[in-house]
Amino acid sequence: MSPEQIIDQALARYERPLISHARAITGDLESARDAVQETFLRLSRQDVRALEPRLAPWLFFVCRNCALDHCRKIVRFSDSPPDDDQVAEERTPAAEAAASEDGAMLRKLLGELTQQQRELLNLKFEAGLSYKEIAEATRTSVSNVGVQLHTTLKTLRALWNRENALP
Amino acid sequence: MKTEDFRLTAYALGQLHGPERDAFEKELAASEDLQKELAEIIALSQALTDLPPGEDTLTDDQRISLRDECLKNTRIARRQLITRRVAIGSIAALAACLVVAVILSDSGTKYVTVVNGSKAKVAVIEEFKTDQEFTPPAAPSPTQALLASSTDRQLAMPNTSIVPDESGREQLQRVDQLKRANEYLRNSADLERQLQGRIAQLQTASAPIAQNLDSSSKTRLVSAEPADTIRRTEVNKQNPQPYADDSALHAAVKVNAPAASAGESRVVAATAPAEYQVYRQAGDARVVGGSFAGGTTDQSNWASRQLAGWDGYSTTPGVSGNESYELPPENTFVSALEVPLSTFSIDVDTASYSNIRRMLLADQRPPVDAVRVEEMINYFTYDYPQPKGDSPFSVNVEVSRAPWAPQHELVRIGLKGREIAAEDRGPANLVFLIDVSGSMNSNDKLPLLKRSLDAMVKNLQPDDRVAIVVYAGASGLVLPSTPGKDRQRILEALGSLQSGGGTNGAAGIQLAYNVARENFAKGGNNRVILCTDGDFNVGVTNQNDLVAMIERERASGVFLSVLGFGTGNLKDSTMEKLADKGNGNYAYIDSFSEGRKVLVDQMNSTIFTIAKDVKIQIEFNPAKVAGYRLIGYENRLLAKEDFNNDKKDAGEIGAGHTVTALYEIVPAGQPLPGPSVDPLKYQTAPMAPITATAPPSSDLLTVKLRYKAPDGDKSQLLSLPIPADSEVAFDKASSDFQFATAVAAFGLKLRGSDTVADFSWNNIQSIARKNLGDDSGSYRAEFLTLLEKASRLSGENSSH
Repeated sequence: MSPEQIIDQALARYERPLISHARAITGDLESARDAVQETFLRLSRQDVRALEPRLAPWLFFVCRNCALDHCRKIVRFSDSPPDDDQVAEERTPAAEAAASEDGAMLRKLLGELTQQQRELLNLKFEAGLSYKEIAEATRTSVSNVGVQLHTTLKTLRALWNRENALP
Repeated sequence: MKTEDFRLTAYALGQLHGPERDAFEKELAASEDLQKELAEIIALSQALTDLPPGEDTLTDDQRISLRDECLKNTRIARRQLITRRVAIGSIAALAACLVVAVILSDSGTKYVTVVNGSKAKVAVIEEFKTDQEFTPPAAPSPTQALLASSTDRQLAMPNTSIVPDESGREQLQRVDQLKRANEYLRNSADLERQLQGRIAQLQTASAPIAQNLDSSSKTRLVSAEPADTIRRTEVNKQNPQPYADDSALHAAVKVNAPAASAGESRVVAATAPAEYQVYRQAGDARVVGGSFAGGTTDQSNWASRQLAGWDGYSTTPGVSGNESYELPPENTFVSALEVPLSTFSIDVDTASYSNIRRMLLADQRPPVDAVRVEEMINYFTYDYPQPKGDSPFSVNVEVSRAPWAPQHELVRIGLKGREIAAEDRGPANLVFLIDVSGSMNSNDKLPLLKRSLDAMVKNLQPDDRVAIVVYAGASGLVLPSTPGKDRQRILEALGSLQSGGGTNGAAGIQLAYNVARENFAKGGNNRVILCTDGDFNVGVTNQNDLVAMIERERASGVFLSVLGFGTGNLKDSTMEKLADKGNGNYAYIDSFSEGRKVLVDQMNSTIFTIAKDVKIQIEFNPAKVAGYRLIGYENRLLAKEDFNNDKKDAGEIGAGHTVTALYEIVPAGQPLPGPSVDPLKYQTAPMAPITATAPPSSDLLTVKLRYKAPDGDKSQLLSLPIPADSEVAFDKASSDFQFATAVAAFGLKLRGSDTVADFSWNNIQSIARKNLGDDSGSYRAEFLTLLEKASRLSGENSSH
């Protein structure tokens, strides 16, 4: 595949997961967009073809760094009021309708997890990365990813059962 | 019950492979608890995957321009890669030659050794180009690993053909996982029914893709994703020739490969896809054709850098953080016979000097690309006479010897803009566009800017107007356009500036231009002054729009100047480019004294343009001049045709500005320094027919200047012949000449130029020390300090 195709595919495939990923770190959409743009620009300056086999972990790792850079920069004037659309619950009516009742519940439960856990779930389920890719993107070991994910899912399951047990 | 068994999750997610998986499946089959838990995990995983993807995306505009920008980069990167491949090819070829030699002289066993040696070299080169941010562990790539796993065949897809619709792919993956898991859950009828329902659901959804996965035909795969294909076609319309470019380059490489394998590892020439007009050799900085000025050919600039094997992304020692610099290679000697005309745009910027000063004072070696020699020379004012008559500037040419190469002449061309007393100049309408993002917080940025502006405001004329627009701040306009006599209000607004908020810069700059236009001072100076540490915060992809806007506004009479601040994030080249596009100047403010110099002492020249698009063209007389080189101005060179082309943008000169350019000349009869070129095979070089068409002249050269009035569109021409016998000995040359020469040598040494390799820091120092002049502001004395620093950093001893 030509670098152009690889970039096109990466854009089509990972734009949304990367934005979610970055937004979990920056907290606001604009910074997340900046981070994602920066990520792709950096990608385009690399030897894209050589990078292709490990594209996903590369993207998520670099995106994370870009997002963190952004945070470091703007953290000093965080006294400005947060964007309205920053609250996760506020979604477009169409999206709201599309999401099942279970989905809405699940989203709410996700809010109770730690940021690291949400990040992990995002990488696994929204971005569809393998353990190995996640390990590469987060700079941990594969077995650690396995343990973390297992624990996260377990926590989530417990939360889920708690909610469903209620009358 | 092994509830803590994380293999469950791994298994449910299809992440357990090989014997581990088999072993786990056995355990699973034996344990109902495990099965139950597995089903739960699968259900939860399914619910998680079913969550609609995040609503947030890039905006369409962002995506489109991001894509453009990325593709541009990949094209550049590809050229770079090809260059390297040629280098690799040449090494391989060399190795092959060696192999042949070895075979001829020795047994075949050494063949392998030599080949391995060449491979090792290739590997080193490959390694060199791998990205620096992300070094992977030396493990097999995920794709390879996954290829081995039958369950993960979907991940192997990208290697074999075009990836089908992504959601379909994921669904397939899940179908696979669920199927496998399902085999072990047959006992649990409830769960099974539940799962089967899901599987059926998923299978219906992904049926067409599954079909295509089973087929090996690429065309059918493509047809499975019509939406994607259409998008790609549209995209190709936007970028008509990515592949045409590619093939052209390949062709070039083929042509060059034999030359390279003959032992010369340099790329000799590149081909000419339409958008790249300028080509350079690594060792020969001559402009072959096309234009090379004002940033309009930045791209070709870039491309040539890449072709020359420069690594634009390597971290240069001495550059902290995120600073970026770029500059074409140093000008080399050019034959006056072959290229009798030298054309360039003037440059009154001074940023490079103050930026380098900042680095040297911090004991950092400046990166060579940060050294713009002309800006260093022009940092100092020289005592050229005022223009006579109507001309906006005087032209002062002086000819002496180059102290670093006494056999060569040195020609100085000095321009002096007419001085205009503050009360005689037209009113100034200034809009300060100030970056107040968080990064401007440190003392050498916003606080320094405020102090400098404070000093400037105290020197405003009553009818000058000042407005302040901030960006990255919640509101844009901090101070509406306010007359200079209302000093207190301006100072108060300045005092209230602080970093905060998050508005985007594009809106800020638009606002600044609007304010400038609304308060347009006819016959005066209308200018937006961008003050930033380099982070425009306009969204990385909007830079082209930004340049377009600046050019548009320039046509309407509002110019743009840029003041750079701080360290760590300085986008030097971008800032210079923006100022250049906006008919303004770019200064780097590293201290209060620099701020005062730029905004108070030299305010008239900083903000009051007396002539625009000033171009210089020198015609050398080959009867007297064998060759020449222009010192500095590498990114200001123009094609000879641009000189008379009034549409071609060039530099501006302000009231009282001095601009100095130096040419080093090889007198006729002497050899040109630098690598020699083989004599031409198909034509004989004209050895002495110079006088055949033109009458013999005793001129050394003729200086021609073109400039426009600040509000004019038609250029005027000044022409000044310089007789050959006007040369004086170096120590008899004017003090300004000698000092400028010292600065030039300083700059050349910092650039690592071979031409001054034998000329010591000591020599420079002794010239500079003798020629400090009256030195108001002690700028020249400070230069001595920098020399000291530079010589110490370079390891050369200057104490004796």
